[in-house]
Amino acid sequence: IGLPTNSAQECQNLEVERQRRLERIKQKQSQLQELILQQIAFKNLVKRNKETEQQANRPPPPNSIIHLPFIIVNTSKKTVIDCSISNDKFEYLFNFDSMFEIHDDIEVLKRMGMACGLEVGKCSPENLKIARSLVPKALEPYVIEMAKGPISNVYITGGSSAN
Amino acid sequence: GNRIDTSLVSRHKELQREVCDLTEAEEQLDELISKCTLQLRLLTEEPQNNRLGYVRCQDLRQSFDSPDQLVMVVRAPPETQMQVTEPSEGYQVSLRSTQGPIDVFLCPEDSSGVC
Repeated sequence: IGLPTNSAQECQNLEVERQRRLERIKQKQSQLQELILQQIAFKNLVKRNKETEQQANRPPPPNSIIHLPFIIVNTSKKTVIDCSISNDKFEYLFNFDSMFEIHDDIEVLKRMGMACGLEVGKCSPENLKIARSLVPKALEPYVIEMAKGPISNVYITGGSSAN
Repeated sequence: GNRIDTSLVSRHKELQREVCDLTEAEEQLDELISKCTLQLRLLTEEPQNNRLGYVRCQDLRQSFDSPDQLVMVVRAPPETQMQVTEPSEGYQVSLRSTQGPIDVFLCPEDSSGVC
């Protein structure tokens, strides 16, 4: 007596647990994807800069480049910006009279095409080949999945990849 | 209630297996994430990569290519805090560093390629 109720209750608990784990996995998958994108984008950037420097036979003038990490704040040229800075430059306060955007350096690298289009799931076969060559074997299944398009469902990669 | 029992039991078993699979998948993800984080850190900290990890001013201009846009670059030491107010309370950004000065400069629009 009472067993069905218990099982029903336990099924419900398991169902909740399952849902919770699915949510966490989704979150962790996008975290992993972002890390993979960063790895690919950074490697591509370094490769490009190295090639450009070799072609030019010298590094670019220091005042023409910005080293990572950085953050971009962009706004309309019409925006009035009021800026206060502490003497030691440890603290800044900006007031904008209009909207602004904040982007991290990875966003810039993505816009430069350094993530091979993987960030939007638009990756040509050649770019996919490059992207795959830039990550360790264990991450290749994720790269292939990302190349197919934005991921909405939880997927579980097999232990061994076919190549 | 026997039939309900059997279906409940099989449902229960199925759920247990699924939760078990998900646990395993999550552990696998955790491992990959920590490996990946470490790889990325080693990659960016490597001196040669560190030197080559830069964008050119022209890259920035092309990335925010609207002629209407003012592009500000912020370079801050690790652990600098950035606070942004709710848009309804105005447009304000504050930066607070504890480990060193913060650099802020504008990306020039001219094609000289010099920041």
